[in-house]
Amino acid sequence: MIKSVASEAVMRRICISLKSSQFSTASQVQPNAKPPSFRTSENDPQKHTTAHIGQFYQIPTKERKIFLYGGLPKSYEIQTKTFNETCIMIRKPSIDIINCLKSLDYSKPAVRFVLFGKKGNGKSLSLAHVLHYGYKSGCLLVHVPWVGNWMRRCKETSNSEAKEGHIDLNLDAAAWLVHFKSQNEHLLNNPELKISKDHVWSKRENTPKGAPLTELIDFGINRIKYASSCVVSLAEEIKQLTTGGHCKTLVAIDGFNAFFYPNTRVFTEKKQIVHPHKVTLTEAFLNLTKFDWNNSAILLTQLLKKIRRLIYLDIFWDEMDLNI
Amino acid sequence: MLNISRNIDKFLFRILEKQLVLTYATAPNIEKEEEFRVLNLKHVKGQVTVRRPAKKAEVLPPRSMQMAVDQDWGNVWPGPRTFHPATVPLPVRQGYSEKGVSPSKYGNAELMKIPNFLHLTPPVIKRQCEALKKFCTTWPKSLDTDEKCEKHFPVEVWSSTYCHSSPTIRDPLSRIVTVKFKLKALQLNARAKDKFLRLVGERYDENTDTVTIVTDRCPLKKQNYDYAMYLITALYHESLNVEPWEELKSEADMEQYIWENNASKANIEKIFGKEAKEIPQIQIYSEAVDKYMNEGESEYTINNYGEAVRRILNIPLTPL
Repeated sequence: MIKSVASEAVMRRICISLKSSQFSTASQVQPNAKPPSFRTSENDPQKHTTAHIGQFYQIPTKERKIFLYGGLPKSYEIQTKTFNETCIMIRKPSIDIINCLKSLDYSKPAVRFVLFGKKGNGKSLSLAHVLHYGYKSGCLLVHVPWVGNWMRRCKETSNSEAKEGHIDLNLDAAAWLVHFKSQNEHLLNNPELKISKDHVWSKRENTPKGAPLTELIDFGINRIKYASSCVVSLAEEIKQLTTGGHCKTLVAIDGFNAFFYPNTRVFTEKKQIVHPHKVTLTEAFLNLTKFDWNNSAILLTQLLKKIRRLIYLDIFWDEMDLNI
Repeated sequence: MLNISRNIDKFLFRILEKQLVLTYATAPNIEKEEEFRVLNLKHVKGQVTVRRPAKKAEVLPPRSMQMAVDQDWGNVWPGPRTFHPATVPLPVRQGYSEKGVSPSKYGNAELMKIPNFLHLTPPVIKRQCEALKKFCTTWPKSLDTDEKCEKHFPVEVWSSTYCHSSPTIRDPLSRIVTVKFKLKALQLNARAKDKFLRLVGERYDENTDTVTIVTDRCPLKKQNYDYAMYLITALYHESLNVEPWEELKSEADMEQYIWENNASKANIEKIFGKEAKEIPQIQIYSEAVDKYMNEGESEYTINNYGEAVRRILNIPLTPL
């Protein structure tokens, strides 16, 4: 009895699918067929509204390059290769943030948003969605793909010259500068972006005041020895430029609480654990997440796994928390 | 040596002889026409002696079969006793077997291990209460609500007595005394209450507002009771006393989060550039932060905080 009912249902389903002429195994949608209800053809995040929630939109291949050096979770990258397209689901929290970003008063101090939730809930991908929105709306993107990479799988450590007792993660810093450059290529050509003060790296090397920002970045990429301090100076410069109104900035940091968790896998030469506050890179990004500058927005994600959510009383906690 | 072996041989031979004779003697009576009888050496040990069949002890039916339905159970089971299956007329089953039904009461070690209260059935209890009634006084009529009891008798003293029928009638556990009282009965001010709670530590239950003091360090019950009373007095007076070093209490020692003294207030003032009191909607925000810090992180406190921040920073509220 039960078997026959099940087979009937299967038959019915096959008939319906044949009628609507949509074969699930087809790789191309037929030209006259209606697009499936879970997709939307609106690929511009600036135009996404609450009506689009729950639907997938495709990131065009040209804009895919912002994630070239990181930003999407590894397992997701494999799937984009399998399906030959990068589709992100439009979700309520990201629509919420995009809405807020649209209606934010940029003359006030920077607002900070935090995305948090359990493992696998979609924090990194929501961040990617908002990043795409930032890219489309012409913001300068300061994107840290995954802080855990720096704190737990750092490529190379060295003692900092500029600061006593601090550790530099130079290769990681240089890699990040490359990432920053590739994300913001179209904006860095802007001649208005100039450095506001002299940066002296050593006796013979310095980046003078008034040089374009690209020079600072290139210096960091070429001279790996000074890459970390370059990142710190870059953060300062970005703040200055943004406050001055030359560009809008979106700071997006994935896994922000890795900057606070004391058990890193960064070791000194004597095999002692280095607290994140002793890493020069931390200082750069903590600086960027303060609220003493305007014309920008900051979006942070919480890193889970063995790191528990930390509540830091003496540092800022005026962030907005969004539930996923 | 040889003698012995010869003797043994003779002995064995004699036994064999006897057995052979017996075989012939006890062989079944065949027709006497046959001249020769068949020699049967195989069944040598045959019917030597017929063993007496073992007497099976007569098993009487279990006593529970002969119990009347309206019997007085209190007489059958007068005191605490390990479970005895034949005496208990109930078809009790206890235990687990993978395939099949739970084991029955006969030969069930589990039933014997667990405590049973067959000696305290309701009619028995009633009888005991009736017997004790003549030693009791009536409950005062005016103490009809819990609040009145707490008001007039705030302190509860709990202790157990034990009586053994062994060479010593005493039990060392009877020295334990538990004293319970509600903290609000002490009427301490906020600072004193905080000090009291730090002194008392784990002995305070937040949900019922009760302080429980268990004493057992003295050998006698009376001594433990006096010690408990002394502890309460000492705690009360100590918490009312203000020591000079208590003024050094800093933000890190605070047991509660107070928004006024914390970084959150300083930060919001920096953001707005104004005094905290002048910022609109600040009340909602400070309460939200207080709740979040004091009550811990829950969906309600986080959402509350989010809404408060949205209001204060003029950000659109969460879409539904």
